[in-house]
Amino acid sequence: MALETATPPATDPAPAPARRRRTRVSGKGRAWDAIFAGLARGSTVLTLLILAALVAVLFESAVPSIRENGAKFLVSSEWRPNEREVQKRDAAGHLVMEDGEVATETLPAEFGALPVIWGTAASSLLALLFAVPIGFGAALFLVRICKPRLGGPLSFLIEFLAAVPSIAYGMWGLMVLAPLLQDHIEPFLRSVLDVPGLHWLFHETIQVGGESITRVLPLSGRDMLCGGLVLGIMILPIVTAISRDVLRAVPREQIEGSLALGATWWQSSWAMLRYSRAGLLGAVLLGLARAAGETMAVTMVIGNNNQIKASIFAPAQTMSSLLANEFAEATTELHRAALIEIALVLLLMSLAFNISARMLVTGGATKSGGRR
Amino acid sequence: MATVIPLSGAQAASSRLPHAASTTLPPRVEEERGPARGRVFEAISRSEAFPSEIHESLLAEPAVVEVRDFRLWYARKQALFDISMRIPRGKLTALVGPSGCGKSTLLRSVNRLNDLVDGVSIEGDMLLNGDSIYGRSVDVIDLRKRIGMVFQKPNPFPMSIFENVVYALRIDGVRDTRVLEEVCERSLRGAGLWDEVKDRLRESALQLSGGQQQRLCIARAIAAEPEVLLLDEPCSALDPIATGRIEDLIEELKGDYSILMVTHNMQQASRTSDFTAFLYLGRLVEYGPTNDIFLKPRLRETEDYVTGRFG
Ligand SMILES: Nc1ncnc2c1ncn2[C@@H]1O[C@H](COP(=O)(O)OP(=O)(O)OP(=O)(O)O)[C@@H](O)[C@H]1O
Ligand SMILES: [Mg+2]
Repeated sequence: MALETATPPATDPAPAPARRRRTRVSGKGRAWDAIFAGLARGSTVLTLLILAALVAVLFESAVPSIRENGAKFLVSSEWRPNEREVQKRDAAGHLVMEDGEVATETLPAEFGALPVIWGTAASSLLALLFAVPIGFGAALFLVRICKPRLGGPLSFLIEFLAAVPSIAYGMWGLMVLAPLLQDHIEPFLRSVLDVPGLHWLFHETIQVGGESITRVLPLSGRDMLCGGLVLGIMILPIVTAISRDVLRAVPREQIEGSLALGATWWQSSWAMLRYSRAGLLGAVLLGLARAAGETMAVTMVIGNNNQIKASIFAPAQTMSSLLANEFAEATTELHRAALIEIALVLLLMSLAFNISARMLVTGGATKSGGRR
Repeated sequence: MATVIPLSGAQAASSRLPHAASTTLPPRVEEERGPARGRVFEAISRSEAFPSEIHESLLAEPAVVEVRDFRLWYARKQALFDISMRIPRGKLTALVGPSGCGKSTLLRSVNRLNDLVDGVSIEGDMLLNGDSIYGRSVDVIDLRKRIGMVFQKPNPFPMSIFENVVYALRIDGVRDTRVLEEVCERSLRGAGLWDEVKDRLRESALQLSGGQQQRLCIARAIAAEPEVLLLDEPCSALDPIATGRIEDLIEELKGDYSILMVTHNMQQASRTSDFTAFLYLGRLVEYGPTNDIFLKPRLRETEDYVTGRFG
């Protein structure tokens, strides 16, 4: 769906001639024009209304959580949907005895979305880290190297990959990638990278009986790295397809201009990337929006653990995977409202990504187009 | 050298050749004038080879580029036929001919930009100051660094004016700011743009007017001190005033640079160039000093073309 954004806006009719033409058509033609214009305007308004309604409904259902949690919602990293009884400890971490028994205390329910916001941000960035260099490289290959006879089928394949249901990527990630990571890649990385300065990547500090101990991080394969990789593979087609279209729109004179000055293939490719940087940033943001909103595949491979860990080898949780995991089982009103508030934050975030991406893709193209 | 010919360019086809010019020609003797009227075109239409009419005065000129028996095909379609010509050093040579006759193709063959076009194949060779251009061991990147090119449409890069001018040095890895600034100023002065832009070198080159952009492109092309400068209809996208400025500039560059320029504008060719080559359907028909080509061409076909009787 987002692929249309990349079509160069060259088709934009200049407003003046269109108006002039309209005055020349017959009265009947004018009536049809008016009807179609009305329909077009109507469907645009309808789309906006649906979006507004969506935001309004989410907001309304989230009100209990917004009222209860306030700004703490966005900064707290405690996510405890139900109140929980725990053993009471004193300041030194020793158990408190009362009447010869271990005393307990009840922690109230708490809703802090920071771990999932972090999880979404980190996994999306990780995905970009994989998808952007490969996507740009593939786009350059399609535009500059490969012959049309090969480029057509390849382009079709890439667009097809964009349409593969995400559960398929998730299953592949769970059944193929995660075991591969767990058994081979991650142990290998640990054997190579576990050097002074990088110990934090492979160790974690946990609380046991009031003491914090550091231990080797168990490698599960279902972790932030796996989530980021699967996401990266999922957004690769869209990043490739859009940057291919953006690069294809680079005027020939720009490329030949740099080559004529003695630029190498890489240097002239760099000039192309530079020329279309706005459009490419748009491609990246659309990829980011898709990565941030992705649910099923991530839920299957990211390990689903509400924690903020620096290591990419630790399980994590994203906003959408939290929703998928908990929404059906949310029993208290506050829990539901908190989940809905997460959905609201996610919606607003992807809206912001999408809008800025669109402005960049089309705005960048008009700027260069207007110079022709 | 600027010979003013009372013609208002090729477009003024109806104005014909001034009779004064044709009457100065010696009485026509068929053998002296090579193929008779129509013979060249006839030969071409029967795809027969014919020798290019090359004026002897060219042989005395040292060549910066030498084209040797050059042939070029786009896929199976041949676009250049047996072109042999010497481009004189330090002079301005104009390539003229009807649309589609292969002027741009010939020009782009000099810096091997045609290498990028799918399906292009060539025979023959060219020499740049004696060095083979198409030889097997030639490094195309190094070759292109020795040649400057200005395109039909101004094509500044979306960077600052400064970065545009020093692009050739940047891609060569030059970092020294003093060197870059020096080259920038010298090139912009050379292109007659320095006074207009010296206070806004850091601003985007896209803000310049079309004519300024084209002069910027010339500055960019001369920044690396090329051995030859290729211009492909450098004024065709500009208004008359900007065109005038570029023509003046080209005239100034003429002594310092060897220039090969494609033009559609006969007036421009006759006013600015030292030598003129007339191409037709991929063949070099006649090549000689501009004065002779315009005032006493040896071939009727050339005369018909430069006077706007066809083309
Ligand atoms: N990339 C290409 N692929 C196939 N054929 C081409 C290509 N470029 C040019 N040609 C053909 O080669 C011939 C010469 O073209 P060229 O552009 O050199 O002509 P020109 O003299 O520069 O014309 P103009 O004055 O219109 O610029 C033309 O018949 C053209 O159709
Ligand atoms: Mg041309």
